[in-house]
This record gives sequence, C-alpha cells and structure tokens, in this order.
Amino acid sequence: MAEVVLNQLVKSYGGMAAVRSIDLTIPDGAFAVLVGPSGCGKSTTLRMIAGLEEISGGTISIGGRVVNDLPPKDRDIAMVFQNYALYQHMTVYDNLAFGLRNRKESEARIAEKIAHAASILSIEPLMQRRPKQLSGGQQQRVALGRCIVRHPQVFLFDEPLSNLDAKLRAQMRIELKRLRERVPATSVYVTHDQVEAMTLGDIVVIMKDGLIQQVGTPLQVYNDPANLFVAGFIGAPAMNVFKGKLDAAGEKVMVEGVALSVGERNRAALRGHAGREVMVGIRPEHIALGSHGNQLEGSVDVIEQLGSEMHLDLKMGNAAFTVARVAPDAPIRLHEKVTVSIPAERLHFFDADSQQAIRPASLSGALAA
Amino acid sequence: MTVATLDTRTPMPHKSERGFFSLMAPGARRAFFYLFVIGVGFIIAFPVLWLVLTSLRPASGMFYVHRGTEFTLDNFFEVFENRIVIKAYINSAIIATLATVLSLGITVTSGYMLSRFRGPIASGWFSIIYVFRCVPYISWVLPLYILTQNLGVYDTYLGLLLPHIAVHICFFSWLMKGFFDGIDPSMEYAALIDGCTRWGAFVRVALPSAVPGLAALAVLCWLWTWNEFLFALLLTSHQTPVLTVVMAQFVHELGIEWNLMSATAVMALGPALLITFFGQKYVITGLKI
Repeated sequence: MAEVVLNQLVKSYGGMAAVRSIDLTIPDGAFAVLVGPSGCGKSTTLRMIAGLEEISGGTISIGGRVVNDLPPKDRDIAMVFQNYALYQHMTVYDNLAFGLRNRKESEARIAEKIAHAASILSIEPLMQRRPKQLSGGQQQRVALGRCIVRHPQVFLFDEPLSNLDAKLRAQMRIELKRLRERVPATSVYVTHDQVEAMTLGDIVVIMKDGLIQQVGTPLQVYNDPANLFVAGFIGAPAMNVFKGKLDAAGEKVMVEGVALSVGERNRAALRGHAGREVMVGIRPEHIALGSHGNQLEGSVDVIEQLGSEMHLDLKMGNAAFTVARVAPDAPIRLHEKVTVSIPAERLHFFDADSQQAIRPASLSGALAA
Repeated sequence: MTVATLDTRTPMPHKSERGFFSLMAPGARRAFFYLFVIGVGFIIAFPVLWLVLTSLRPASGMFYVHRGTEFTLDNFFEVFENRIVIKAYINSAIIATLATVLSLGITVTSGYMLSRFRGPIASGWFSIIYVFRCVPYISWVLPLYILTQNLGVYDTYLGLLLPHIAVHICFFSWLMKGFFDGIDPSMEYAALIDGCTRWGAFVRVALPSAVPGLAALAVLCWLWTWNEFLFALLLTSHQTPVLTVVMAQFVHELGIEWNLMSATAVMALGPALLITFFGQKYVITGLKI
C-alpha cells in the first residue's frame, strides 16, 4: 500500500493540453474516483500514473518515490481496463500467472496465489478456459484477479464496468465494494458514471477540461458543490439552477419574480454579493409539494413515473424548468398548477460570473485544507 | 381493440424488399442467384480450365482443342526432361520461401510500428514506404538492374531476393498494420504493467494474437514471389532461372509452344494451389480483421 501524490501534473499533446496542472494526494489505502465528462483528462491522468503515457510536466510519486521515469512494470501497480485486456491466446490460469511468472516466482507459489485470488472472485471453474469463452462479467472478474494476485501497491481502474450491461454493472459495483474489504490497497478509479463515483469512492475527484473541479468525500461533493459544474454533474436528476438577484441586504433572492429567503446558513457568505446577480441551485429531491417556507408555483409540463418516485417537470414564468422528485402516488395531473416548497437551507448559490459556489466561510476553509 | 385492427393491416414492405427481385417468386430468385454465381465462376475459372486442357493436348491439336478428343501426358514428360524447367522450379520455390521467411520479420515489426507508434521515426518510415508504394512497380526495375550489376549480384539468389524482400516490406507492412490495428492495444498495456518490456509486450502478447495475420501474410508473400515475373525477367539469366521466366521462353523465333508452356504453367499452379488451399482460412480470417 502506498500514498499516491500528483504534483502539478501536466499532459499536453502538441499544443493541446489534456491535463492542466493537477494536484492531488490520495492517502494510503484510499479509494479515489476520478469522474468527469469524456475528454476531461481523467483517463489520461490514470494512464500517466500507470506509466502508459509520458508526463509533460509535474511529478507523480507512489509511496514516496517519484515514478516519472520508471516504466510501468517497475511502478508496482496493477490496472483493470475497460475492455478487460485479457491475453486472448492464454488460458485464464496463464493470464493470472503471467505477471507472477515475469517476476520469476515459483510455480507452486503462483498456484497458491492464484487459488487464493480465484476463491475471492469465485472464478475457480474457469481456470482452463480462454477469455473468448467467458461472458463479460467473468472476463471482468479474471481481469480483477490478474490484479489481485500481484499484490500491487496501487490498483488502477479505467472505466472497468462501462462495457457491462446495467444489471451486471450494479452487481459488479457491489462486488468491487466487497473486494475492497478483502484486498485493501490504494486505488484510483476512473469513470464517467457519477453513481459509480459516489458509491465506490472514499474520495471523489471531479474533473473537467483537464482541471480538478473539486475533491471531497461523496457527501461533500453532493452537499457542497464547489461550482456550478460539480453541482450539475453530481446528482440525478441534475440540480435545478435559476438566475436570481439578491436584494440589498443579501437576505432574499428574486427568482422568477418570487422572493425566496436565502436561509440562515448562506446569509453570511452572501452578504458580499448583496444586490448582485447570482445563480441559485436546488436539488430535485429537496423540492417538496406543499406550501410552507419558500414557495414557487408552476404548471406541470411532464410527469415521469418511475414507480419508486415521480419526477415532475415544472414550468415557471419564462420557460424555467424545474424537476421535482415526489412520491409516486402524489395526486398530480398534467398541466395542473402546483405549489412547491423549497427549503432555504438547501439552496446553493453560485457567482454568476465565475460560477464558483458562494459558500459559508467555515466550509470552504475546511475543504481547501 | 386497436391492436386487432393494426394486425389486419398489410405491413409495409421493408425498403430492401422492394424492387425488381422482390417481384420474383422465391424459387426463381434462388435460380437467378445460382445462375449468376455459376456464370461468374465460369468466367473466372475458364482460363485455368483452358490452360489445363491445352496442357493435355498434343502440339498438333493445339488450335483444335474444342474439337479434339486426343489427350496426352507427353507435354508433361517433355517438360520434366527439360533440366532448365526443373532447375527453375526449384529456384522459384527456394526464392519464394526465402523471401517470405526473410521479409516476414521486418514486415511484422514494421507493421507493428506503423500501427502503434507515433513520432518522427514512425512517420519517416511511413513516408518511405508510402513513396515506394506510389512509385509505379515497373520503374523499380531499371535501377535495380543497374544496382545488381554493380554489386555483382545480378543473376544470383541474393540479387532477386533483396528486391523481393523490399517489395514485401513496402506492400505488406500496410497489411500487417491493419492486423495490428485490429488487436486491442490495451492487452499490451496490461503486459507492460504485468512486468514486460515494450519488446516483451510485442513478442509475448501482440505477436501471438497476430498469428492468423502472420499466416495470411506468409501466404500472400509466398504467392507474390512465386508468381512474380517482371523482376525475375530482368534480374536473372541462365545462372538462376526462375519458373515464370522459363515459361515465357517457350515463346521463341520458331513459334509458341503452347502445349509445353501450358504444361509448365499447370505444374507451377500446383504449389500455389496447395498453399492457397491450406492458407486461405488464415488469409480470410486475417483480412477480416
């Protein structure tokens, strides 16, 4: 196990910067998930940690050792690829043994290690098969097994679940969590799926355009997104965002002609922005039907019934849409006017220009540290 | 019910089912298909069948093949007694095999480089191959003739082998690039992480996966050299006769010995057919990638 530290990491292809100065410390044994839209530089970052991509600037250290110029085989890492990358011409057993044989371990020792890994992943019956004879889920297990047998300092995962169908993906996600208990090691996991990021990560690293947008625990990034991008990226359905204007005292915000109280929590931070335009965010799950506290009125434009809940697309004033998550049996009809209440403490505020969150000082301090 | 009404409606024909062929009965359509296949097959096979027929006819009956009923194996016996033909046969086999074996290593690594590497060396190599491929084949011949004369390798194995190897590299590196493009590079990345060097990842992981491609390549290289005429004509003479050239020498001032030429050609067909027969599985799977 080892700490992974990225220091001002840069990757550029010709003039194009794929990764622009990344600073990140992943503590020993932590499971960090890099998440972001495609092209945000998350895979490139992972490949630089693996040594598959040259580093244009900055340093990467694993366990206190700068590995910039080490070939992948000397970094003591293991990696799971999106398309499994199993050696097609070898049996499952030989796939698992490949890395160990390269390290000149005795066959007896190899057999022992493989047996152990196979029992963890329950792939014992597959040992003599070839990768082509396995299902996607089985191949993914073998790919995991190939990593486990090596006992590396760091596990790297490059979108390992995205080739699986939705049901299998959910299943493998749980297995990965279970696996973590049995094989604790520092892990870096790349995905574009925010559900994987939230459920698997101890640390969630949200990236966009080659830059880190926010680093935090799943709850931190959900409760206190650092900027509009993070706010929109984490959570499904995405956070509703309105243009608003703060009053002179910074205590009320005008949204679609309705004055909403900004709430106790945000008041101090918003004082500096009094009288200015801000972006106001509220998560669909925090909007409730009813008329207490802050209220907004809208007509129901679309109803999405999911069984466990219902999503309402509300139309308010100038074509502003709001999604609200409500109980599946709520007596709502299409085009009906409804009143929703918006708890002031759940409102998020963002600077209209910089799009950065306007957060209570104590909070931003804590996150930066 | 709406569902019931929907079911009674005639479904719209699928787009591809409309047109001339859809108007035919299924049986007629199949007959048409077979007729077409047989027709095309006949057009392709006719020259070969004619060749075989000619090789089995006496010289006197050459121009009456379609009428004659007299068949003979004398042409083959005569050709077998001709020591030049036998020597050329052996030479062709040796040169085709050597050229294939010797060029394979370079072609495979060169194809791999074109597929996996970026940078000045790879793009430089790419340009060289590209330029040589664009140059008309025939324009290579004269410089090669002068070069082999000057190097003193004219009319030797080496003098014919080297140009063939060069051609293999230029023409088949692309093919090999295609094979490697079809092989997932992350397998090699996994090997790098699993303790291989870059070369190790190539030899132990990429290469075994490219075996069908390699086999296809070997077949194509061999057939190319076996059938090649132009280089052989200009770069060899009496010392190192080659089958394709010897075959052409049945055309001489006293006439054309079609029967002997055909017999030699049928003999030349043998190994090529054999190679194609056993290799076509690889060629097809290889080209499919």
